[in-house]
Amino acid sequence: MILFKTFWKIVNKYKGFIMVYTVMLVIFGAINMSANDNNMDFTSSKPSISIINKDSSLVADNLENYMTDVSDVKAIDEDSIDDAIFYRDISYVIYIPSQYGDALFSENPLDIEIKSLGDYEATLANNLLERYLKVQKVYLDESASEEELIKSINATIISATDVKIKSKLDTSSVTRATSYYSFANYSIMAIVIFIICLVMSSFNDKNIRKRTIISSKSIKAYNFSILSASLLYGLIIFILVNGLAFILLGNIMFSLRGIIYMLNSLVFIFVSLTIALFISTLVRSKEAISGIINVVALGSSFLCGSFVPISLLPDSVVAFAHLLPSYYYINSNDLLKGIEVINFSTLGDVWQNILIMLLFSLIFIILNNLIGLYKRRAS
Amino acid sequence: MFFHNFLYSLKVLFRNKPLMFWSFAFPIVLGLLFNLAFKDIEKNESFSSFDIAIVNSEEYLNNPIYKEAYTSLSEGDDKLFDINYVSKEEADVLLEDKEIVGYLEFSESVSITINQNGINETILKFVVDEIESNKEMINSLIQKRLENNKYSEIELIIGEIKSKVLNTSVSLKDQTKDNISYTMIEYYTLIAMTALYGGTIAIYITNLKLANMGSIGKRTAVTAIKKSSLLLSSLLASYLIQILELALLFLFTIFVLSVDYGNNLLYIIILALIGSFAGLTLGVAIATLIRASENTKTGILIAVTMFGCFLSGMMGITMKYVVDTYAPLVNLVNPAALITDGFYNLYYYGLNDNFILDLILLLVFSAVMLLISYRGLRRQKYDSI
Repeated sequence: MILFKTFWKIVNKYKGFIMVYTVMLVIFGAINMSANDNNMDFTSSKPSISIINKDSSLVADNLENYMTDVSDVKAIDEDSIDDAIFYRDISYVIYIPSQYGDALFSENPLDIEIKSLGDYEATLANNLLERYLKVQKVYLDESASEEELIKSINATIISATDVKIKSKLDTSSVTRATSYYSFANYSIMAIVIFIICLVMSSFNDKNIRKRTIISSKSIKAYNFSILSASLLYGLIIFILVNGLAFILLGNIMFSLRGIIYMLNSLVFIFVSLTIALFISTLVRSKEAISGIINVVALGSSFLCGSFVPISLLPDSVVAFAHLLPSYYYINSNDLLKGIEVINFSTLGDVWQNILIMLLFSLIFIILNNLIGLYKRRAS
Repeated sequence: MFFHNFLYSLKVLFRNKPLMFWSFAFPIVLGLLFNLAFKDIEKNESFSSFDIAIVNSEEYLNNPIYKEAYTSLSEGDDKLFDINYVSKEEADVLLEDKEIVGYLEFSESVSITINQNGINETILKFVVDEIESNKEMINSLIQKRLENNKYSEIELIIGEIKSKVLNTSVSLKDQTKDNISYTMIEYYTLIAMTALYGGTIAIYITNLKLANMGSIGKRTAVTAIKKSSLLLSSLLASYLIQILELALLFLFTIFVLSVDYGNNLLYIIILALIGSFAGLTLGVAIATLIRASENTKTGILIAVTMFGCFLSGMMGITMKYVVDTYAPLVNLVNPAALITDGFYNLYYYGLNDNFILDLILLLVFSAVMLLISYRGLRRQKYDSI
C-alpha cells in the first residue's frame, strides 16, 4: 500500500500537467462543436468566401446577392482578408470594383478581381462566379437596361436538378465524434505516458531502487502495486476523456456507436500504459524522458492522422503508420464514421484493430519484462 | 570569474549528454515528422477529377447536347470527372462501394443520386445545373431572336446562339499572393517550441545555483563570489547553446526540409534571438518561482510550451487564426504564438508593423519573466537547509 500511495503522491504533483492537456482536448472538442448540423436532404456545400463590393449598381448588388445565396459569405474586414485566406477561413475572395455596373455597358468593362486558394471550395466558388458572369455576358448584348439584364440572369441561373441521397447516416455528429477521439490520441498518450514515465523515473532513481530491492517487499508485490496504481490511473483518464465526450458530443455518446468509441479509447489507454511502462524501463535518464515522450506522442499523432486526416497523408507515411498502435486506434474511429448500421458483423475491422492494439500491448509487456530482467541482472 | 564560470557552465551543459542530445535531436526529429505528414497535404487540397456514373438510357444516348457536354467535361487535362457508363443496378453498387461520387439518370429531366452531402457532390450538381441553364439560355435567346426575325433564318440563329452560349468566356483578375503555403506555420511553431524548450537548459543550469535544489547549489550559496555574476554567466552559456540549437534547426529546415522563412534574413535572426531569450527567461522564472523537483519544473515548462504551441497552430494550423480572431488577447501573451506570428508576418507580408509588435511583446514577456525571477532570487538566505 505504501508504493500505491506514493504513486498517487507523485501523480498529484503533476496534476497541472494533466489539466493542461485536458484543456487542449476541451478546446479542440468545443471548436468542433461549431461544425454544421447534419441534413438528411441534399445541401450544397457552400464555399466559404468573402465579397468586397465597392460598387452600388444594381448589377453589382445582384452578383453579390447571387454569390451570397450559393456560398457561405463571411464578413471580414478588408485588412484581415489575407490572414483569412492564408488560414483557410475562406477560400475565395471577390472584389467588385467601383463603377463596375456603369463600365459593364461601356466599351471598356471592368474585370472582377479575385483571390483564390485553388482548393476544392475555391474551384467551386470560381465555377459559380464564372457561370454567373458568363450568363451576364451572353445577355448583355440582348438587354437594353440593367433591370432587363438582371431579370434575364435571374431567370436563367436556376438550380432545379433533383438530388437523391442514399445514406441515412448523421454524418456531422459522427464526424465530430471521430475528430474528438482522434485528437484524444495525443492527449491520452501525453497524459498517460508522460505521467507514468515521470512517476516511474522517481521509483527507478538509483538509490530508491536499491532500497526497494533490499526491502522485505518481493518484486512480485512491488510490480503488482505499480501495475494496479497504473491501471487505476488509466481508468481515471478513461473517465476523464469519455466524461468530456458526453458533455461535448451529446446524443451520439448514448448510442451503440458511442460505446464502441469508448471501448476503443479504453483499449488505447491500456496500450499507452504498456508503452509508458516499457519506456520507463528502457530509459532511466530523467533528462531524456521528456524528449522521448514528445517524440512518441507527437510523432504517433502526426504520422497516424490524429491532427491531419489520414486521407491527406502520403502513402509511404500511412504504410509506416501501420507499425504504430495509434494507427489502429484512429483507424477504428475513422471506420466508425462510415459504418451506417452498427452490429457485430459490420464492426469486423474495428474488432480486428482492437485485437492488434492488444497484441501491441502484449509485445510491450513482454519487452518490458525482458529488458527489466536484463537490467536487474546487469546491475 | 564571469568568463571562468561561463566556460565551466558550458562544460557542465555539454557533458549532460541526454539533455544535449534531446535538446538538439528532438526538434529535428519532429521537423522530419512534420515533413512526412505535411508534404502532400497542400497537393491533396487542390482540385482533382473524381468518378461519376451515367445510367445508359435512350434519353441520354439520343440527346446530342447532353452527350457532347458530359463528354467534353471528362476529357483533357482540366477534366472535372471520369464517367462510367453503366446500368442502374451497377451504378447503385458503385455508389455503395464508394467508387463513384454519384450517378446521373436521364428521363424528361436529369436526376442525381449521391451517398452523402459533400463538396464533390456539390460540384456534380453544379455541373448538371450549368448544363441545364445553358439549355434554358439557348431556348430563351432563340425565342427572343425569333420575335424579330424571319423563321426562314432559324437554322442560322440557332447555330449563332449555340455558338455564343457555348463559346463565351469570362476573365477574372487573379490577385492571390504567392506565399500561401499554410503548412509553413507548422515549422514556425516548431521554431517557437524549440526556442521555448530552451528553457529546460535554463532550468537545469539555474537549479545548480539554487541552494534548495542540491549540494552544488548549497556550495554555490556559501561561496564569496557575487551570485549575480555566477547566474548571469551560467545563463549566457545556456543562451549560447539555445542559439546553437536554433541555428542547427534553421539549417536543417531550410536546406533539408525546404522551409521558406521569407527574404528578411536579418529580421529572422533578430526574431530567433529574441524568441530564444523569451524561452530562457521562462525557464529561469519556472526554476526560481516553483519550489519542486527538477522533473516537475521541466514538466511544467513542457506543458506550458505545448499549450502555447497548441494555441499557435501546431496541432491544427487554423487554431492560431481561431484564437487570433475570437480571443486575440490570449495570443498576445503567448510567446509561442508571438514567435510563430513573427515568422508568419515575415513570410506572408514581409516586414510590417505586426512583426515589430511581435518583437516588442516578446521583449515585454521576457522582461516580466526576468522581474518575477529577480524577485524570487534576491536575498535568498537559509539558516539551515
